[in-house]
Amino acid sequence: MNKDAQMRAAINQKLIETGKRECFKELLRPKLTECVWKDQLKVHCKEVIKEKGLEHITVDDLVAEITPKGRALVPDSVKKELLQRIRTFLTRARWLSL
Amino acid sequence: MKMEEMSLSGLDNSKLEAIAQEIYADLVEDSCLGFCFEVHRAVKCGYFFLDDTDPDSMKDFEIVDQPGLDIFGQVFNQWKSKECVCPNCSRSIAASRFAPHLEKCLGMGRNSSRIANRRIANSNNMNKSESDQEDNDDINDNDWSYGSEKKAKKRKSDKNPNSPRRSKSLKHKNGELSNSDPFKYSNSTGISYETLGPEELRSLLTTQCGVISEHTKKMCTRSLRCPQHTDEQRRTVRIYFLGSSAVLPEVESSLDNDSFDMTDSQALISRLQWDGSSDLSPSDSGSSKTSENQGWGLGTNNSESRKTKKKKSHLSLVGTASGLGSNKKKKPKPPAPPTPSIYDDIN
Repeated sequence: MNKDAQMRAAINQKLIETGKRECFKELLRPKLTECVWKDQLKVHCKEVIKEKGLEHITVDDLVAEITPKGRALVPDSVKKELLQRIRTFLTRARWLSL
Repeated sequence: MKMEEMSLSGLDNSKLEAIAQEIYADLVEDSCLGFCFEVHRAVKCGYFFLDDTDPDSMKDFEIVDQPGLDIFGQVFNQWKSKECVCPNCSRSIAASRFAPHLEKCLGMGRNSSRIANRRIANSNNMNKSESDQEDNDDINDNDWSYGSEKKAKKRKSDKNPNSPRRSKSLKHKNGELSNSDPFKYSNSTGISYETLGPEELRSLLTTQCGVISEHTKKMCTRSLRCPQHTDEQRRTVRIYFLGSSAVLPEVESSLDNDSFDMTDSQALISRLQWDGSSDLSPSDSGSSKTSENQGWGLGTNNSESRKTKKKKSHLSLVGTASGLGSNKKKKPKPPAPPTPSIYDDIN
């Protein structure tokens, strides 16, 4: 397991070093905005805030409520595309470092 | 590196997939987190619920799509006919003219300072010129005097060159108004010679082309060497206006000042006679011409002809004679001094 962890850490490091992580993020953000993910999530946020009260809302509350919903709300197309790109990156990384 | 070597060999597809999923999950969680921060900030800053307006007030700001109105529902040109009251002079001014009026009324802005400076300069000039003419009593009077009226008229004409309306003609044309700035501006690029006095004409003709256009009856304001008109035309104009005493600024340049003797002058005269056959002075200065001819008495030249063309030779010779001493360069300046001397001799 240590190897796995080490491997993951190494891959992550590679991801960051090459700037690919930022690249993926920048790719994801407009896609999510485009597919109305943000708006849906915003509606959910409003509900949460109204529930908890405007004055007493904290970041932790929001995160706890919203993150699972957000993960679920991502459309499949976006998910598939992103996964594809990640796989490509990994394969290339594997071959390159050979 | 060691770690990378491990990653190379140990990877199979399922693991690859698992890692990919993990990376994906991380990315999505990052986005969610970012979104949460944004929302939290919006909530705490108070702008989170801003776009939730009630439908009634939404209707107020709906986009208007009717013809003749802009998207806010306002009518075009609505403000053209409106009148505003000036806070300074309490007059009601049209809205579109309000800003320039205010600029002048309050005395601020570029134009008004320019006009004020001009007025000061002009009033200084007027004071200098008038104190010679009038008695001191008149100047000391605070009442209306002829001089102040003159100044008022001059001011009005001064206003015109600066303001954006200068292209429009002056409302009341009297001799003074058009006299004061015949050089500054006119509708076309020419000057109407009818309204000019002899002094102005003379000074004009020494600096500008002055040829009168057939179509507009105005004098050309371009330089003495303007390509549109020939020297002959310029000569004609000068003779027409200034009579036989017209001294032509270009004549000197065309002559050879260095070697001047009778043979040269004869050749010159013959050349001039041939050249100047087309331009005859329409003005009846015949008597003055003949008297001038006799007055100068250039011997053989006189006997040749007593026609109008003669005076040109005289003039040219006069010009050169005077010019010889002063300079041998081709400049229009020297003719100015001889002109008064000619008058003196005749009169």
